[in-house]
Amino acid sequence: MSLLMKKKVKEKTNEVPIQITWKEIKRQKVLLFWSFLIVIYGVIFYYLPLTGWVMAFQNYKPKDGIFHSEFIGLAKFQQLFHDDTFIRVIRNTLAMGLINLVASFVMAIVFAILLNELRNRHGKKIIQTISYLPHFLSWIIVTGILHEALSGSGIINELLVKFNFIETPVNFFAHPQYFWPIVAFANIWKETGWNAIIYLAAITAIDPCLYEAAAIDGAGRWARIKYVTLPGIKPTIIILLLMNVGNVLNAGFEIQYLLGNGLVKSVSETIDIYVLKWGISQGDYAIGTAAGIFKSLVSIILIVIANKIAKHNDEERLF
Amino acid sequence: MRRRILNSILLFGLVLLILIVALTKRESEQKKNIKQFTVFYDVQGDEIDEDNEIKKKIAEITGAECEEIWLGSQTKDDAINSYIASGEYTDFIVGGLELYQVGALLPIDMYWDDYPNIKQYMSEEEWNRLRLDDGHIYWIPQFGIVNGEDIETIHEGEAFWIQTRVLKWAGYPDVRTLDEYFELIGDYYEANPMLDNQIPNIPYTILCDDWRYFCLENPPQFLDGYPNDGSCMVDPVNLKVLDYNFTDTAKNYFKTLNEQYKKGIVDPESFTSTYEEYIEKLSTGAVLGMVDQWWQFSYNITSPFEKQNLDELGCNYVPLPITIDRSIKNQWHVKRSNELDTSSGISVTISCQDVEGAFQFINDLLGEEVQNLRYWGIKDVDYHVDENGVFYRTDEQREKRNLSDYLASHFCSYAYFPRREGINEDGINMFSPEYQLGEFQASLPIDVKECFEAYGAKTYVDMIGTNEQPGVWYPMYSYSTLLTNQIPAGVVWKEMTEVKQQWLPQVVMADNFDAAWAQYKNAYDETNPDVFFDDMQLELERRIKQAE
Repeated sequence: MSLLMKKKVKEKTNEVPIQITWKEIKRQKVLLFWSFLIVIYGVIFYYLPLTGWVMAFQNYKPKDGIFHSEFIGLAKFQQLFHDDTFIRVIRNTLAMGLINLVASFVMAIVFAILLNELRNRHGKKIIQTISYLPHFLSWIIVTGILHEALSGSGIINELLVKFNFIETPVNFFAHPQYFWPIVAFANIWKETGWNAIIYLAAITAIDPCLYEAAAIDGAGRWARIKYVTLPGIKPTIIILLLMNVGNVLNAGFEIQYLLGNGLVKSVSETIDIYVLKWGISQGDYAIGTAAGIFKSLVSIILIVIANKIAKHNDEERLF
Repeated sequence: MRRRILNSILLFGLVLLILIVALTKRESEQKKNIKQFTVFYDVQGDEIDEDNEIKKKIAEITGAECEEIWLGSQTKDDAINSYIASGEYTDFIVGGLELYQVGALLPIDMYWDDYPNIKQYMSEEEWNRLRLDDGHIYWIPQFGIVNGEDIETIHEGEAFWIQTRVLKWAGYPDVRTLDEYFELIGDYYEANPMLDNQIPNIPYTILCDDWRYFCLENPPQFLDGYPNDGSCMVDPVNLKVLDYNFTDTAKNYFKTLNEQYKKGIVDPESFTSTYEEYIEKLSTGAVLGMVDQWWQFSYNITSPFEKQNLDELGCNYVPLPITIDRSIKNQWHVKRSNELDTSSGISVTISCQDVEGAFQFINDLLGEEVQNLRYWGIKDVDYHVDENGVFYRTDEQREKRNLSDYLASHFCSYAYFPRREGINEDGINMFSPEYQLGEFQASLPIDVKECFEAYGAKTYVDMIGTNEQPGVWYPMYSYSTLLTNQIPAGVVWKEMTEVKQQWLPQVVMADNFDAAWAQYKNAYDETNPDVFFDDMQLELERRIKQAE
């Protein structure tokens, strides 16, 4: 709603372009001063570090530094794409990123709508509070709980055995096929409540008249969700979806790093772990940087494509 | 209203008090004028309290103290490379070759003339083994520098360990081969599924967390009667480097593990447990046996065993002389003075502001008075001296030494600084109570004492026998651990390690052992291991030549 209004305002101002005159600058000097500070901040903390990308094109040695290392062009990128491990790592990152995106996205919306339909305000508050508490736990604790719960003598196995689903305990962390679901589950458990907050806020902003009108027209609960709630939060959904698409390659680091072991290595390692392992642990900064650049580029491409699609369909978009 | 005022005054007073305490503490530290150093150890360890008593005592004598930073949850490569990336180091560091390559370390031999304890710490010949390609020495090894005769009490290295209760139950049998070992454990487990009728026993577990996976990986070399060269075996007759990964013994060993896994003897969580979880398992007393190196488990389980009275139940571990066949003589234990690891040690870094002070500190730590403080403690508090000058402890003092709180608040051994092992200059006492025969035997847990008596052994080493240095090249691992990505052999070595880390657990867990073994062999061959072994062969020849 508010976004739509902003768009209209923008269109209006476009009609009468502001002439840049000294007078105008003087009038806006406070604004200019503050935005200038932000620009400096951005340059120092976002753009200057990017000069480190030079390392990806060098045979970088910490002893020689950026200025004296040998320049080798794209050799490190070539090495990267001839490395089977890197290809596998991209696959893992994309797979886990997509699973997380879909799962956490859908769960958060469903959860927000269900919560909104609760009539008991007191119960609603309690459930909401409890549901977003896990967000404040660090991954090291969450993985600790998971490791304990899913171990051979953990609660999950105990329940499964007691209710005769399986005969002997399954060691969930020893089988590659369980790894992605475990990661997705952990993400959902930790973040659903938190992610739902923003949708809940969007739902509250929907004009109650619409619900009343729908009710008078004979819409049941289901129809009200379908024709009022969902269209009402559609702008929010699309903006968040766009932002999350750009984040697909940030499939996670801590959880895979902490839960991984030799047996599930082939499915657990993400690009971030690869960067850490080769860039930091093995001291090959060039290849670590190259992998990092690749990740950033893909993320930018993904977000641009998603934005284009949104534009094409005349939906809300980021830029 | 009045109450509110009262409360706010109280609160204000509290804040003031905290501030005063914090400030005066800082002031008093400055007043004492004690040099502050920092050190990073590339291993995990136990932190000690800030106002540790012996640390203060050492500071009084040496005029310096050192804050110890242990490895956290990262791997050691991560930690060291983070230091390299930042370019700022602790004053002392235990790292490795990479630090030398980036020029972060100071050459020790340029400074040592003023510090006799450092220069005379090892013989000229031993120091020379540490010289790197530029002819200088960059680190001081901390362990295995023995003064006088080796007195062997504990077996610091690797072995098949077994709980004394298992041996006692079977009437202390003579166990020498892999098959006999697993048979014994299997029989015991069948008869005693529970520990003390409370928790289920875990017959055999394997530590397999990251680099610690050697507990799974390297027993084939020992089973064939070779010593711990670590990354290869050396044929002492033909002077050839051998690969132990695919010998008949290796296949036999992993096949046995596979069978035992299927039988439920091998802990199914072995390969997914972290080191902490492994220690936790051992601390319950439920694990009957495993392969491990002494230092990696024994110090962590003493305190929990004490608290749960597990000594009386016979949960302590003793090593067994296991080989693949009775005809083979084992070399699990090699005399400590013969196992000088030249690949690691402590260095002074370029970030150190007070280089003289730093070397003086190492020098002082090697002095006898300070070394007694580090390993024995404070006289008449932690130990007594009898009329002949022999150090001894009372039972109470021994027990206190096993309590982790007391260790943290009282003892400060500066564990990864150099130490002079063997006999003290007084010619009577050993440098540390665990090596003092009388002390060692008096502090043995009762179940171990009983077990030793049954086997006619006095020490852990007696259980498996001792060996002289296998050859001048020993140990070869001091070369392979220094390999970096800069040379092909280093790359291959890393890849071999990756393959083994991924495949060995699968081989043990496989439904079809032979198929998995063949797949593993394929993956291993693809890494081109010959590149690595050829390089090891060159190093072997270099070492033999150097010794001549």
